[in-house]
Amino acid sequence: MLKVVDVHKSFGGIMALDGVSLDVERGSITGLIGPNGSGKTTLFNIISGYHPKDAGEIYLKGQRIDDLPPDAVARKGVGRTFQISQAPAKMTVLENMLLAPKDQMGEGLWNALFAKKRVLHQERHNVEKAVEFLNSVELIDLRNEYAGNLSGGQKKLLSLGRILMAEPEIILLDEPTAGVNPTLIKSLMRLIDDLRKGGKTFFFVEHNMKVISDICDKVYVLDFGKKIAEGTPREIQENEEVLEAYLSGSSKKWAQKAGIGS
Amino acid sequence: MIEYLAYLSIMTGIYGILSLSLNLQYGFTGLANFGHVAFFCLGAYTSTLIVVLAKGPFILGLLGGIIAAGLFGWLISIPTANLKEDYWAIVTLAAAEIVRLFFLNEDWIFGKGPYHGGAFGIGGIPRPLQSWFSATTYSFFYLCIVIFFLALTYFVIRLLTNSPFGRVLKAMREGDDLPLAMGKDVRKFRMRAMALGGGMGGLAGSLVAHFWSFIDPYQFMPIETFVVWAMVVVGGKGNNMGALVGAVIIQFFYISTRFLKDFIPIDAQVLASLRMVLIGVLIVLVMLFMKEGLLKEKKRVYQG
Repeated sequence: MLKVVDVHKSFGGIMALDGVSLDVERGSITGLIGPNGSGKTTLFNIISGYHPKDAGEIYLKGQRIDDLPPDAVARKGVGRTFQISQAPAKMTVLENMLLAPKDQMGEGLWNALFAKKRVLHQERHNVEKAVEFLNSVELIDLRNEYAGNLSGGQKKLLSLGRILMAEPEIILLDEPTAGVNPTLIKSLMRLIDDLRKGGKTFFFVEHNMKVISDICDKVYVLDFGKKIAEGTPREIQENEEVLEAYLSGSSKKWAQKAGIGS
Repeated sequence: MIEYLAYLSIMTGIYGILSLSLNLQYGFTGLANFGHVAFFCLGAYTSTLIVVLAKGPFILGLLGGIIAAGLFGWLISIPTANLKEDYWAIVTLAAAEIVRLFFLNEDWIFGKGPYHGGAFGIGGIPRPLQSWFSATTYSFFYLCIVIFFLALTYFVIRLLTNSPFGRVLKAMREGDDLPLAMGKDVRKFRMRAMALGGGMGGLAGSLVAHFWSFIDPYQFMPIETFVVWAMVVVGGKGNNMGALVGAVIIQFFYISTRFLKDFIPIDAQVLASLRMVLIGVLIVLVMLFMKEGLLKEKKRVYQG
């Protein structure tokens, strides 16, 4: 589904990604972990077109998608969320959801002005769909609340609901469970698992090792911009090099928190 | 007195169009356009060019003014597409001055007309259907024309801001990252917002040219942009009715303080400066105590 080949990226003198290659299979849930500053978010930003890469190739279903602008990558079917949730504060939860559908005829000027009836018809359909997704992320009661009034965790849920509504081929989630309460994390994971069974593909950055080992089919580990390991969650947890990366220096605390090497 | 009221209403209507169109760009899309007067100026000059020099009909001048200003809006959104808000403000401010200075220095377009163009201005701009009315009733006829176009502008903008198109504009107001992730081509939307708002500003410009029947570059100083900004900020950004209310308040304030000299013994020039100071104070007060303006942005609630 998604293939990253030998991607390099440096910011000034810092090598953020140093020849990273990985594969995300169709219908899989693939995790991406690594200590802070290991390049996870940079990789997401490059895949989704927000940063230009220095070298390397990225393929979606065999088609090159690197060097495309972010909106074009999104339209090709790569959905992403942000580490710091993005939700226009002066738009309601439902309005936020309605940004997601592709090919909205009412986004064209001509239709917005002269085809009101057909636009409204499509809008009604989209509202119904949005309500469904809001039900699954348990935000339905807040649908007419301004997104700016949501808590951090609720914004994460909104981001997830919104990207699901966009129906991408592959969904890149940047720390989807950070700030979300444990009971809700469980139901979220169930939701993601169900969606995977329905054919969706997920690739996500996560710090919660429990979440990783519960639902990931495969995990990649980055450290200092290099891929240091890949495998099933179990293999990763027993991998010496991963333990080393996490246990060295400042990453120690992080590793303990994540439940690695304890 | 009644003529004064008609004059006040016409100018309020024309500034209402400016205020609504700036609100589309700033209030809804978050574009800090500090050069709105450029559209006003271009609309006025283009319409004059078509009607005075090419002897075209009023309606053609109006259309020409809209198209010229709309094109200019589209044009300045191209090099500025990746600029942040504060830089946007600087670039648009400069763009408006370029337009004004162009008309200040040209003498080859309007060179042969009355007043010779350039700094002398252009006079004798015909008022549509003037011969049908007496001098006093004409103002009311023109007021009807202005109200018609104001209402048209209002309904077009309301339709747009309530549509999925307007929803994308609102999403862009708080940064490009999210709309991009949703697959929206923000550049294209920005260009459209600039072209639309610009065209409406051009409409206001050609309406003012045919009302005053005389234009010169000094009527299109940057201060006009700030007056329109005051309308949007005081009335309530992101609220179309607010933009109109703001236009009424500021215009009333702006024009009626002119008559203060009849009551307070100060020199007319000092008074003219004081008026702007007062508008400045009004903006500061609104910013401090009513951040969202008199009318808050309406929450969009969907059925379902």
